[in-house]
Amino acid sequence: MPPSDAVALDNPVDRRPELILRSPTFAAITDAVAEPLEKPTPIGWWFFFLPAVGLLGLLGVAVSWLFWEGIGIWGLNVPVGWAWDITNFVFWVGIGHAGTLISAILFLLRQRWRTSINRAAEAMTIFAVMCALLFPGIHVGRVWVAYWMFPLPNQMGTWPNFRSPLLWDVFAVSVYGTVSALFWYVGLIPDLATMRDRSKTTVRRLVYGLFALGWRGSNRHWQHYESAYLLLAAMSTPLVLSVHSIVSMDFAVSQLPGWHTTIFPPYFVAGAIFSGFAMVITLMVICRTAFKLEHIITLRHFDYMAKVILLTGSMVGYAYGMEFFTAWYSGNPYEMFTFTNRALGPYAWAYWTMVSCNVFFPQVFWFRKARTSIPILFVMSILVNIGMWFERFVIIVTSLHRGFLPSSWGYFTPTIWDVSCLLGSFGLFFTMFCLFVRFVPMVATAEVKTVLPQADPHHVPKGAHAGFGAGQAEA
Amino acid sequence: MSHIPATTLRPEQVTLPARHLLARLPVIGLVLAIAGLGLGLSLRAANPRAFAFAWLNAYLFGLTLALGSMFFILIQHATQAGWSVAVRRIAEAVAGAMPIFAVLFLPVLFGMGDLFPWARPEAANEPLMKWKAPYLNTQFFLVRAAVYFVVWSGLAIYYARASRSQDQGGAGTAPSLSMRRFAPPAILLLAITQTFASIDWAMSLSPTWYSTVFGVYFFAGSFVGFFGLLALLVIPLERGPLHGIVTIEHLHDVGKHLFAFTCFWAYIGFCQFFLIWYGNIPEETAFYQARLHGGWRAVSALLAVGHFIVPFFYLMGRTVKRKPRLLAIGAVWVLLMHLLDIAWIVLPGSHPEGLRIGLLEIAAYLAVIGSFLAAVGWNLRRQALVPVGDPRLRESLAFEIS
Amino acid sequence: MPSLPMVANLPKGPHYGALAEFATPHELYVACEKVRDAGYTRWDAHTPFPVHGLDRAMGMRRSPMPFIVLGMALIGAAGGFALQYWVHSIEYPLTISGKPTFAWPAYVPITFELGILFGALGAVFGMFGLNQLPMHWHPLFNSSPFEKVTDDRFFISIESWDPKFDAERTRQFLQGLGSRRVELVASE
Repeated sequence: MPPSDAVALDNPVDRRPELILRSPTFAAITDAVAEPLEKPTPIGWWFFFLPAVGLLGLLGVAVSWLFWEGIGIWGLNVPVGWAWDITNFVFWVGIGHAGTLISAILFLLRQRWRTSINRAAEAMTIFAVMCALLFPGIHVGRVWVAYWMFPLPNQMGTWPNFRSPLLWDVFAVSVYGTVSALFWYVGLIPDLATMRDRSKTTVRRLVYGLFALGWRGSNRHWQHYESAYLLLAAMSTPLVLSVHSIVSMDFAVSQLPGWHTTIFPPYFVAGAIFSGFAMVITLMVICRTAFKLEHIITLRHFDYMAKVILLTGSMVGYAYGMEFFTAWYSGNPYEMFTFTNRALGPYAWAYWTMVSCNVFFPQVFWFRKARTSIPILFVMSILVNIGMWFERFVIIVTSLHRGFLPSSWGYFTPTIWDVSCLLGSFGLFFTMFCLFVRFVPMVATAEVKTVLPQADPHHVPKGAHAGFGAGQAEA
Repeated sequence: MSHIPATTLRPEQVTLPARHLLARLPVIGLVLAIAGLGLGLSLRAANPRAFAFAWLNAYLFGLTLALGSMFFILIQHATQAGWSVAVRRIAEAVAGAMPIFAVLFLPVLFGMGDLFPWARPEAANEPLMKWKAPYLNTQFFLVRAAVYFVVWSGLAIYYARASRSQDQGGAGTAPSLSMRRFAPPAILLLAITQTFASIDWAMSLSPTWYSTVFGVYFFAGSFVGFFGLLALLVIPLERGPLHGIVTIEHLHDVGKHLFAFTCFWAYIGFCQFFLIWYGNIPEETAFYQARLHGGWRAVSALLAVGHFIVPFFYLMGRTVKRKPRLLAIGAVWVLLMHLLDIAWIVLPGSHPEGLRIGLLEIAAYLAVIGSFLAAVGWNLRRQALVPVGDPRLRESLAFEIS
Repeated sequence: MPSLPMVANLPKGPHYGALAEFATPHELYVACEKVRDAGYTRWDAHTPFPVHGLDRAMGMRRSPMPFIVLGMALIGAAGGFALQYWVHSIEYPLTISGKPTFAWPAYVPITFELGILFGALGAVFGMFGLNQLPMHWHPLFNSSPFEKVTDDRFFISIESWDPKFDAERTRQFLQGLGSRRVELVASE
């Protein structure tokens, strides 16, 4: 094992270990992140991009056919009126939440390790929200009157029903997408200026320069910038909690057993962060090797991400336990039936996939070796996302397919178009992400520089660097 | 006592001077406790039911503060937080009071029949109570209570002892390592025991009612209350013996936590209310119906405004959090609101017509809070106020919010 | 005279000002304290990333951003609540799920979201406004060493219309602060 990786694996209790390995200079960070964008497109990128575009094409076909023929091309029936469409919506919104958590909440908690991954995670959020917004948009049936969802004065004198959670979703997810995009862009401005100043061609200089807004690193600008960043982070934190809570309210405000339960809002938020971090791990495992950024996105970063997965997975497990206990405790026969049906009924295969992937397998992350093993991390991250997709599927479909009226009981089977829409959404996501890593610095270069020891103005360059607070205490 | 060099602190430099207000806590607490207990016991005969509720009300208030401190300590270790080391010993002193809550639990035990409908003999005829009997029966209740106290006291004592073992030097980093390693499973254990304790002691007061988020709600309130208490203990120390060691920066951070968890409490509290209100199922709304009629309606409104809106705007700005006196006012307010929150949960059982803080309730508060303060004060007096041997102490002392 | 938006509106003169280059944040920090103490007012530091504590070293007052954001957030929240109230209580009242017409708990989600939206817009566009961005052209871009400001070099610029500015003396002053290079930047 190279010595730098060994350093990445230690976890001392009396020192703040180096986050960035190989002690790079500021210029080395800039070069490491910017050079891949300035070289010709590597073959490997096409291996990801072309299939993604293919799937995006599939999405185009599926959605066009959906608009033309109608929702009937999906497997929806009575009683299961919501299935893959809403599962996919909640799945993608959930994934997006990790980006905001990394950008905003870890910023407020002063976790400096976030700087290596926050740019890519925020981009992931924006693309995930795009995929998420797709599904409620296309599932309405008469897409050509989708504008009815917005409070626009019209000749009929009608207004949306603001008291419906479906409308809260419109506002919540739109606001979330907007604020995430704004937060991501604001964070990008200094790095776009870096790209502008390095540009060798006029086209690059003009394009990067246009979007860099003329940023010149002025400290008077940095002051307002940092204040805006902190305020955006402070607002994004309740935003991310509220968005997935509102999404959970699509179900929780109903009266259906398995849907109507008070723990849904925090439970959904924990689950969202759980799946989102898993997607970040999936993406970072690939990107750090592809772009040779292993010294910036280190095994320590994966260690921390895996711990977050363990924490949020435990919260999800806690919620499963509370639901189960309360289903019994309530003495409500419908609640009890719903939960036994989940575990033992026709969808038991989905339920046990969910429980295995969300509760059993993540326990491996109690062990440091697992948290810092790239193969285990990659496999686990995919399993977690499979588990979380199934969680939404189990929640939605098992409560619907066997409701209060046994004569209406049914079973949902997906059609080829359900599958196409899901696969196609991955196409949209990966197409956007491939374009992102090709043209935009995928690491927040300016932020990573701030966590290097030489960024501290009280840092004594040739002095001993040991112990907590040594630099500042000697100031 | 002004600035002490950050690199070397000896335990003798950071002990509580005998004449400090906080050093008198044990005596003050003991006097209050004896007075409260005497008054309470003398009034009990006339209305044992009201006494039981008053005692449970005061008991849960004190217990939640101790539980909050335990969570705080565990989270600081699990996350290897640097800022909090300078104030962690205060939290350990609060958590160290945990064992007395096992003793203070006795009046709750004696009052079980008054407090819990399921504990009465008539419950055997009621179908829903019969259904819940495998969980809600006296024997299992007692076993669970014993388990909670063993776990909580065990954790509190272990963490206090391990931290103290570093004070004299020579222990090295081994205690920090084991405190950190044990923290994540300890958090899980604490979360589960606290959830079921809240179900047993608070939720089962209305045994037909249930809410899956209740454990989280209970935790949220306890954590806010704890930060209020932490602020009130740290502020006089920042003025006094720990001046220059605990700084405005630490107070600012405590204030931020107070703000953040006020918001978290409001989020959980609103979610619980909102989902039950929207679903409008009588089985669930009964809990809120009891608290939205008569005198309780005003209390509910006061809770929404006072436990959220007022501290939200008060603690939002930087200035308040950096001025000890202003922060102290906020902390007192938040603690009073937490008191109100617990009363709102417990007291509709004994006073359905409205909130009544009478002599019985006051006596119970004096008894429980007095004992609690006495224990905390005793812990503060008998050890260094700062974990001088903690390897992350230097970082904490140099801590600065930009 | 109102200027075009992306172009700096600066007084005329042979120079924009003096620009000094530094190699480390530490050197920059110390130099900034000296420039502040020397009484200059129209000056700035330029860094590839925000340097901790530099605001204080430059003697800057706190940013008004929090007030802008709070104001906008309250406007957004109030607006959202008012919209819902107006629609459901006045314009088109309907009995929905048996709840009272003024169902305020149900208005909370959208009120909250609009508050956050307006607050975020306030943060972003407030920051742009306070920083006078976009400003795609600025005299400092005339300096070629300044290209490194977004990479790994640190600068102090003192503008020529600062009352204490004198081309030669300011230049020597900056030289004495330990800078690598000092140049006078043209204003065109």
